[in-house]
Order: sequence, then structure tokens, then C-alpha cells
Amino acid sequence: MLSAALFALSSFLILAFVYVASAGMMLRRADASINEEVTALEARFQAGGIRSINRYILQRTVGGGADYLYLLVHPSGRSLSGNLSGLPDVQPDDEGRLQFSYRRPVVAGAEEEDADKDNRAARGRLVELPSGYQLFVGLDVDEENSLVGRMLNTIFAASALALALGVAGGIFISRRFVARLDAINNVSRSVKAGDLTRRAPRNNTGDELDELSENFNNMLDRVEALMHRMRHTGDSIAHDLRTPLTRMRNRLDEALREEGDLDAREQTLERAVSDTDELLGIFNSILSLSRLESGESRKTINRMDPAVVAEDLAETYEYVCEDDGLEFSFEVERGMEVFADRGLLLQGLDNLLGNAVKYTPAGGAVTLRLRRNSEGCAEFSVTDTGPGIPDADRERVTQRFVRLDNSRTLPGSGLGLSLVQAIVDVHNGKFDLGEGPGHVAGGHGPGLRASMCFPLAPAPQDEGV
Amino acid sequence: MRILIVEDDREAASYIRKGMRESGHVADHAVDGEEGLEMARAAEYDVLVVDRMMPRMDGLTMVETLRQDDDHTPVLILSALGEVDDRVEGLKAGGDDYLVKPYAFAELLARVEALARRRDPETVRTKLVVGDLEMDLLARTVNRGEEEILLQPREFRLLEFLMKHSGQVVTRTMLLEKVWDYHFDPQTNVIDVHISRLRSKIDKPFPRSLLHTVRGAGYRLQA
Repeated sequence: MLSAALFALSSFLILAFVYVASAGMMLRRADASINEEVTALEARFQAGGIRSINRYILQRTVGGGADYLYLLVHPSGRSLSGNLSGLPDVQPDDEGRLQFSYRRPVVAGAEEEDADKDNRAARGRLVELPSGYQLFVGLDVDEENSLVGRMLNTIFAASALALALGVAGGIFISRRFVARLDAINNVSRSVKAGDLTRRAPRNNTGDELDELSENFNNMLDRVEALMHRMRHTGDSIAHDLRTPLTRMRNRLDEALREEGDLDAREQTLERAVSDTDELLGIFNSILSLSRLESGESRKTINRMDPAVVAEDLAETYEYVCEDDGLEFSFEVERGMEVFADRGLLLQGLDNLLGNAVKYTPAGGAVTLRLRRNSEGCAEFSVTDTGPGIPDADRERVTQRFVRLDNSRTLPGSGLGLSLVQAIVDVHNGKFDLGEGPGHVAGGHGPGLRASMCFPLAPAPQDEGV
Repeated sequence: MRILIVEDDREAASYIRKGMRESGHVADHAVDGEEGLEMARAAEYDVLVVDRMMPRMDGLTMVETLRQDDDHTPVLILSALGEVDDRVEGLKAGGDDYLVKPYAFAELLARVEALARRRDPETVRTKLVVGDLEMDLLARTVNRGEEEILLQPREFRLLEFLMKHSGQVVTRTMLLEKVWDYHFDPQTNVIDVHISRLRSKIDKPFPRSLLHTVRGAGYRLQA
């Protein structure tokens, strides 16, 4: 609507300019002619005095049909000659010009022009001649005025037409625009109501609205993916917590019924407490994961030798493996430096070693290595001879709560590898799962090789760069 | 032992008080940092258990103020914030130990008792003795009776910690933090494995056991 009004207004302004310019031009032309005649008459006065002018005016006006309007006035105020009945009764403007109206004198034999015997528009100039005479020269501009009037009418008509066209066009365009916006709005309403599959229509012209639809759809794709992930996480949390919660509930129930046997009751209660601890452990893992993913743990990152971490855990896991009937070996390259949080590296590597121990059957082997890899990074790797992870599942297992079917019966929250991934991400490293040593004697294998790579810290002297 | 609990959660405070009383200690309660500061100044306590987040004056400010007054009563800070940064902040403010909520009461008790013990003027000891078990900290040797026992470095540190806290309950988490310097829950039963190895070296060959398991809490080395 607004644009239609603007359109009409601008066309009106253009026409108004045309009007002012052409009307002004006509007036200026009339004034120029008047000036010419005045100059000619003044010259005549110089040459032949007042008589000459008087004669000239009489010649011109007698019988009508003179181009100009004249009036020569005696100093006494009496009209001497001319075709006006008296001086116009208006004040001259700054340039001594008068805009006035007069009655055309009725001349004998004149055509039936009496239709417009009423006032006609005229312009003129009053000049004081020496010796007190006054000379008025004017020009009938009625024709011009009516032309301008007609022009004015045309302009108004044209403006009205422009306004009408503008409004109609505007309504048409905005209807289409609104229709397309409505389509997008409808989609967003459906999405708000819960239908995440709807998408805004595209016309593929690449105009602004089309682009808006595209961006809107991309956003919806992302939201749908996030929602999907969240729903999955939520379902998994519910599923994973239901098991220990149910177990705990049953134990407490059992304890209630073990009235007589105090020892049994105490044991049951103790187990219920450890179930609670397991639940709290899961919550703590979720919390640290969220903290890591939000990037809050960068404060404690220091320059350090990753060998410290590898040797520490090697010392610990040597006994753990021995206890579980696993062969443990390690190989640690010293002297590399990375920017890392010691606690996080320990936790990440502990997760990998813990998984290896958990999933490798007795009689198998676990190997820990730290070395500079071909990409020039410090690479921790843990290789086991357990069942490994099928190729198709390797991407999936780093997602929260993903547990492969054959591991559901083992303790664990399904958060371990997500945590490793998050820890590696905090250090701008790379986490990789691959095939272990393959099938080995004793029915083991193919095994898993899990690795965390961390970029090496630049040499200290380069640090300031 | 006389303990001051500074905790705005009344239920949590009464849980701690009840437990402390059952363990034969006297426990007072202050509901915020300001009251805690007043009470700590007015009476002599063996250990302060201070919650970190409280109205009026938070736990860290309270401990800092006490330390500025040259009051060195051992402080255990309780907090729901458990990241490394938070611990470091807590210890920097003057806390002697840091325990993350939620915790088992046995854990809290073990730590409070360990803190109270530490108050004894800690002379530089070169020899630890528990029953017939002896540890020479300079020569880094361990003997039980006439027999020398060979320990791996970590086993040595584990035994050293247990001997320094002999007669007290030491929890798994305490061992993880103080001996391993791990501030996370390992995936495997690291502590149990190491304790059982240590036991097989210092106890198994001998008629009397020194290293006892305290059910639901941890371990205790006692002659």
C-alpha cells in the first residue's frame, strides 16, 4: 500500500514540475513581448514625443484586433488613448508587473464572443513617461491560462490514474508477497505445533524470499537433526537409568522384607548404596561431558610431556591386566611436548585402557603405545585382542549413550567414548578407532586399536610468535 | 573431636551431625559463612567442614578470612563443583581438603579424621612403624619382622600413605586422589587390584593381617 502511494506521489510530483515549468515559460514569454513593446514605445517617445505614441496607440487600437492592450494616461488622470477602459486596479509586483483581469471592450462587428465577455486574464506593465504621462502595455493571456488550466486538469487526472494503477499494482504484488510469506508462516506454525517434517516452499528463482525459504529450511534440517539426537539421548538416559534404578528399587524392597536377618539386610542396603553410586557416576559423566563440550576446561592446559601420562597408567594397568588374566605391554616414547590438561589425558587414556580390559577375554593381550606418528603428532594407542568394533559401528560409538548390543550386559554408561572424543576435541586432537591385530591364536580378535593424537607443542622459543 | 559444620542446607547438616555423633564426635552447626566465622573464632575446633556456596558469606571467603587471622584449623570444603579448577580454587583459598557432593558419609568421616590427625605437629619422619611393619623413607625399604619386602614405586607410595594414616579408615577416593593424583573415577577397580597385590606382599606370608577392608568405606592399616 505504501509503495503504491509513493508511486502515485512521485508521478504527481513529476507532472507538477512539468506544470510549473511550462506555465512559467508561458508567463515569461508574455512578459518578454510586453517588454519589447514597451521598449518600442519608449523609443517612439524619444523620437516623436507623446503625440507620436498617442497616434501609434490610436492606430493600433481603432477597430479592435490589437495584439496588445494599451492605455496612455494624461498627468491629470484622463485616458488619452488605448483599448482599456482604465488602469487595472491592482498593485504591481516587484518588477512592476501586473496580473489582472479585464473586460474585453465590445467592438462593433465583433463575433459572438460575448460568451466570454466576462473577465479575461491579462498581464501588463505600467511605465511612467517623463512629463507625468503614464503608459500601460498589457497582453491578453487568457488563452494561455486556460491552456494551463487544461494542463492542470490533465495532471490531476494523470495523477489519479497513477495512484489507482499504483494501488492496484501494489495490492497485486503485495498479495503475492503476502501469499508467499503466509506459506512460510504456515510452515513455522506447523513446526511449532510439532511437525518437524514440513518445509517452506521454494520457487527456485533465487530472489530474497526464495533465499529466506532456503535458509529457513536449512535451519529446520539442523533443528530436526538436533531434536533427533536429543530425543535419542533422552531415551538412552531413560533406558540406562531405568536399569540401575529398578535394581536399586528391588534391593530396597528386598531389604524391607528381610526383617529378621539383619546381616542380609545390611548387605542388601549396601548394594543399594552402590547402585546409587553407579547412578551418580552416570550423572557425573554427563556433567563433565557437557562441561567439556561447552569448552570450559581450557584454563588448566599446560605444556607437558605426554609420556608422564602413559607411564603413570602403564604402571597402574600392568597390575589390573595381570589381575584379569591379560598380557599387558607398553612402549612409551619420551621427550615430546603437547599442550594438555594432565587430568583429562589421564581420564581419556584410562577410558581406552578400561574398555580394553573390560572387553578382552582372559588370555588376551592389551598394548599401550605412545609415539610420534607419521603426521608429527603425539599418538596414544591402546590395542587389544577383544572382539573389536565392526566398521559400520565405529562412527556411532562415540555418540552419547550408544552401546553396542553385545556390551549391554557389561557395566558401563555408554558415555566413555563420548568423553574420550570430547577430551580429544578440547585439545584439537584426533580420535580414531581401527582394526586390532586381527584374529590371533586362541580364538581372540580381531581386536580394536583406539588412538588419541595430540598436536605437538611448538618449541618454546617459537612460542612468542 | 569437635567439628564445626558450616552448611546452609539444614538437612545435609543434620545428616552430617548425626553421623559425627554416632562416630563419637561433637558437631556444631552454623547456617552461613558469617555465623561460621563467628563460631570458629569463639571456640576451638579440630576440623571445620565448610560448604562452598552459602548465602551472606560463601565458604571460600570465610576460609580466606580465617587464614588471614592466622587461624590454621584444618578445613574440609564441600562443594557441588567438582572440576579441577574448582578444587584448585578451594585449596588456594586455604582449604586443606576438598570433597565433591554427593559423597558417602564414610568418605567425609575418613577425611575429617585424617585432617584432625594432620594437625599434630608433623615432624619430618624418616621411619614409619605399624606393628612389626617398618618403612624407611630414606632408604626406601620396607621390612616386616626380619623379612625385607620388595615393592614397586606405586605400591610403596600406597603403603606409605596407609602407614601415615594407620588406624584410620582410608577411602578409595582418598587413595585415588592422594596416591594416584587421579581426580576421576577410573574405569577399572584400580585400587582393589593394588590393595590386593600389596596385601599379598605384606600380609599373606605372615600370621597376622595388618591391612583390613572396612566394608562400605575403604581400608585400614592397623596393628
